[in-house]
Amino acid sequence: MVEWERYKWPIISIIVIIGVLMLMIAIGFTLGILSEDPDGLERALIDIRSEEWLEGLGSAWEPILGWIDNDYIAGIIGILLTIVLIIAVFSLISYISKKKKSKNE
Amino acid sequence: MHIPDGLLDPVTTVVLWIVAVLMLIIAFWRLNILFQDEESERLIPYIGVLAATIFAFQFVNYPVPGGTSGHLVGGTLVGVILGPWAAVIVLFMVLIVQSLFGDGGITALGANTFNMGVIGGIGGFYIVKAILWIFNKTEMKKEVKVPIATAIGSYIAIVLAAFICGIEIGIGGLIPMDIAIAAMVFWHILIGIGEAIISGLIVWFVYKAKPELIITENMLGVS
Repeated sequence: MVEWERYKWPIISIIVIIGVLMLMIAIGFTLGILSEDPDGLERALIDIRSEEWLEGLGSAWEPILGWIDNDYIAGIIGILLTIVLIIAVFSLISYISKKKKSKNE
Repeated sequence: MHIPDGLLDPVTTVVLWIVAVLMLIIAFWRLNILFQDEESERLIPYIGVLAATIFAFQFVNYPVPGGTSGHLVGGTLVGVILGPWAAVIVLFMVLIVQSLFGDGGITALGANTFNMGVIGGIGGFYIVKAILWIFNKTEMKKEVKVPIATAIGSYIAIVLAAFICGIEIGIGGLIPMDIAIAAMVFWHILIGIGEAIISGLIVWFVYKAKPELIITENMLGVS
């Protein structure tokens, strides 16, 4: 059985994070809290070369989720993917270390 | 600071991948020791939440004067809360997901992990530790000095990461190194202010809401 009580706060936190992110996207650009300007590295490269040059940098791979152009959907999928990946990796670390510990005992 | 594909030369790309993978292996091994404690398993859902927070904050850009924008990198922040080695793994995972959306290249994932996870996470953690060593000589409460040290540490770490990122780009030869370094450091001196404020506020909030989540107090030498 899944112990829901144990995961109650993390689940609430995830829902709150998704809600806050949606709200930030929705009203952030309108109020000017957020910006679509290039970030530091992009700005530096545009200043030195040009925007066309930056856009023309070749990549051998097409980003798998690059087709999602809706910020809300991309945000939700990204958050959920991050959580699944992180929990899987740290659960694996925990499993291996406990197995190692019980073997030593 | 997400390096796209095609900007770094093959040698720099491979070398930084090797360094990043080595750091990830060490991180995996170091965390194995931490997770031998029965209670540590409780932390896993919160680590997931923290990673989601980093992803969300990296997703949205705040405006910076001069026609640029910044977003949280979060390496030092994760380093202070969960430790430097956890920061490398968390940042690597966040960067993998972002590269799937086209934010940061897939071949440049090693370089991005090195800049944000190793320099930002491990470097930032030890900068914070050094600042706390000075703060420990004062009467400041830990709920005040740790967030302030985190803010200063994140600022220094982000500018340092930008400096190193400039070197990596310069080695590729597409852009002269001196120009790449100057441009990267200049913009990140401005962008780093946001990183410092957000990181300091999150650590302050964690101290208020769930201080037991900060598992690095002994490692940081907080007194």
